[in-house]
Amino acid sequence: MFSYILRRIAQSVLVLFVVGLVAFAMFRFVGDPVETMLGQERTVEDIERLRENLGLNDPFFVQYANFLLRAAQGDLGISYRQGRPVAEIIAERLPATLELAAVSGAFALILGIVLGIFTAIRRNGFAANAIMTLSLIGVSLPTFLIGILLIYLFAVELSWLPSFGRGEVVQLGGWSTGFLTQSGLVALILPAITLGLYQMTLIMRLVRSEMLEVMRQDYIRFARARGLSQRAIHFRHALKNTLVPVITVTGLQLGSIIAFAIITETVFQWPGVGLLFINAIQFVDIPVMAAYLMLISVMFVGINLAVDLLYVAIDPRLRS
Amino acid sequence: MMNRFWMATALAALMATPAVSETFRWASTTDPQTMDPHAVSSTPVLGFLNNVYEGLVRRGRDMSIEPALATAWEPLPEGAGWRFTLREGVTFHDGAAFTAEDVRFSYERAASEQSDVRSWFAPVTDLVVVDEYTIDILTRSPQPIFPDSIANWMIMDSGWAEANGAAGVARDAENFATLNANGTGAFRLVSRQPDLETILEPFEGWWGEVEHNITRAIFTPIQNDATAVAALLSGEIDMINPVPVQDADRIDAGDGVLVLRGIETRVIMLGFAHDHETLQNGAPNPFRDVQVRGAVAQAVNVDAILQTIMRGSAEPASQLVPPSARGFSTAQDTRPVLDPDAARAALAEAGYPDGFEFTLSCTNDRYINDEAVCQAIVGMLAQVGLRATLEAGPVSNYWPELRAGNFDMYLLGWSPGTFDAEHPLRFLVHTAGESLGTWNFGGYSNPRIDALLPMIQSEIDEDARQAMLDEAAAIVQDDMVYVPLYVEPLLWGVRNGVTLTQRPDNFFILRWVSVD
Repeated sequence: MFSYILRRIAQSVLVLFVVGLVAFAMFRFVGDPVETMLGQERTVEDIERLRENLGLNDPFFVQYANFLLRAAQGDLGISYRQGRPVAEIIAERLPATLELAAVSGAFALILGIVLGIFTAIRRNGFAANAIMTLSLIGVSLPTFLIGILLIYLFAVELSWLPSFGRGEVVQLGGWSTGFLTQSGLVALILPAITLGLYQMTLIMRLVRSEMLEVMRQDYIRFARARGLSQRAIHFRHALKNTLVPVITVTGLQLGSIIAFAIITETVFQWPGVGLLFINAIQFVDIPVMAAYLMLISVMFVGINLAVDLLYVAIDPRLRS
Repeated sequence: MMNRFWMATALAALMATPAVSETFRWASTTDPQTMDPHAVSSTPVLGFLNNVYEGLVRRGRDMSIEPALATAWEPLPEGAGWRFTLREGVTFHDGAAFTAEDVRFSYERAASEQSDVRSWFAPVTDLVVVDEYTIDILTRSPQPIFPDSIANWMIMDSGWAEANGAAGVARDAENFATLNANGTGAFRLVSRQPDLETILEPFEGWWGEVEHNITRAIFTPIQNDATAVAALLSGEIDMINPVPVQDADRIDAGDGVLVLRGIETRVIMLGFAHDHETLQNGAPNPFRDVQVRGAVAQAVNVDAILQTIMRGSAEPASQLVPPSARGFSTAQDTRPVLDPDAARAALAEAGYPDGFEFTLSCTNDRYINDEAVCQAIVGMLAQVGLRATLEAGPVSNYWPELRAGNFDMYLLGWSPGTFDAEHPLRFLVHTAGESLGTWNFGGYSNPRIDALLPMIQSEIDEDARQAMLDEAAAIVQDDMVYVPLYVEPLLWGVRNGVTLTQRPDNFFILRWVSVD
């Protein structure tokens, strides 16, 4: 058991190192940061000096090693675009992304499970069929388009909700939260729906098919034969057994919600790390790109590790 | 009874206070990277900071030079430099008095190695403080347009900068001046959250005459065009810059909003690989031949591009600067006429009766509809037998590729920083070198241009200077060094009731805004 955990942690660290190496090898193809940092009247000498100062003349593995060395001491470098410490910028922007991810994750999970159960129980009903058809939109329409459509409907035509931004935020220590103001909560609605719609339909379809599968099992038939109420059968027996795969998928999807947030954040000008990353790519802001990619991979690797460890806890067969 | 009286009075008082709040919100695609006026020389930064900081001189609504922190200036005898008389009684936002010492400090800061605006001071040898309100800027050679070239050189309070450790410009370290500002401008920086929101408020102690009626101005960057348009239409934002060309008509048709159209200073042009022996595909390089370059100019239908892709919002260009720029050559104000037959004939005469294949390099995120313009050009060139393969990419990769010489023909936009015809000659036409011809990717080289440039730079006499600029413009046209296509449009969206001025350098000046 202990050696299994140790092995998994070692593998995760290795994955992180490889991700970083690949990232640094690719930065050269994004462009030359010096070109975007200097104005049009720069001289060749200016370009060379800045390149030398930033260490851009070093081979990428040397740049990577320097990055790791400094990162190990808690220094993520200075953003080329903003001229401020990257760690500070990310700390400012992360709450926006995490709050959005949390709300859209909750939206996807709750609505997905409820609609999944509904469409499974009333599998031939009109409403269930309509929901299933509509859910195709959630799967097939790109996030970008959904966001723009929502903005045009609810912000421009109806003027109910804001079209961009986070509304008013409250500072709690180092954390800026939009949960405590009305404008902050209202601003969450459209981005959360946009970001969570795909996951919601995914969970809904998963719950539905799992539920239908479970409903065919012998123990459900026996439960029926025992004369249990529909309610008890559906929620106590069927749903419980449906949720195991749902939790696995949700856990894994949490990482991708944060990663997918890039597009949603761009559409809604949501000041999170995804928007920061897009800006960084356009500007070839290598320190920010490196920090973001490492952050996301730490998150993905961490979630995977947690899921793996949960399996061990849940499934006794893995422990032997 | 008494209660009712008080209530009525209170109600009347409430109604008497103006219902309209003069908070002005505006959005643009790019956030100014820094609040440091010497760290980044880009339109978003200089344009924004022109509201907070001021220079010795400034540009008016029509780009003309007018007094700001200097009330008068005159050339020193024998072209030794310029003397500026400083305005008295000016204070910085924190209350410190503006003196010659601040000018001296700002010169040293702006001309330092780490500064991105040091090229403005390339001809300067020293700045001498004559007395508290007089300074002399000494130059290596006579500099007739020196005041024009420092219109964006902003003066920072020396005491404030030194007290906060911001005396130098830093690119690889944090600097107090990156997030804070202390200028003399009409607006002071109230709060700054990079990429999120920047708030300005009028500076009560400003020396100038207030023309605006804003009590608070809030800037938000909105990167996505469609989102910005939605924010304007929904009334959350009072002004956006830019409006996407394709959305302009739709916004105009909407209620409560309109599009303001102007002409920018940026000329979009085609450049050639003048000094390459071969094309990218290995064939001999036909663009070395001026006839071939001329054929390109005759084959591109600029009017059609402006009608369809720019929807009538831009103007054709004949030179490397727009007609409004200082030193524009009225004598050379004709573009090559569209004539595909003549282009074909010229190609045949040059030895390419069947045309040839080459690549056209182009950005897809730098200029307005740049990729669409290039696609149209590919189609137009194909009609005369010039078969171009379009290579479009993001600007972050574009300049390195051009600098490495990986192109045959390319799209370029140039905005003259000094608003003078000398500027593109210096950077685009002069033989490529360390500090001159730094954007002359094609390697064009003409000894006459190289001889003219220093003479133009130091000629005090207006007419003699213009004659030389005319000659240079004629050479550039005759040699088809570039094919100028059009001047980019300015498209700003505002809600009704907002009046403002679109300055051709795409600077948004808050003190010219009024809201009702």
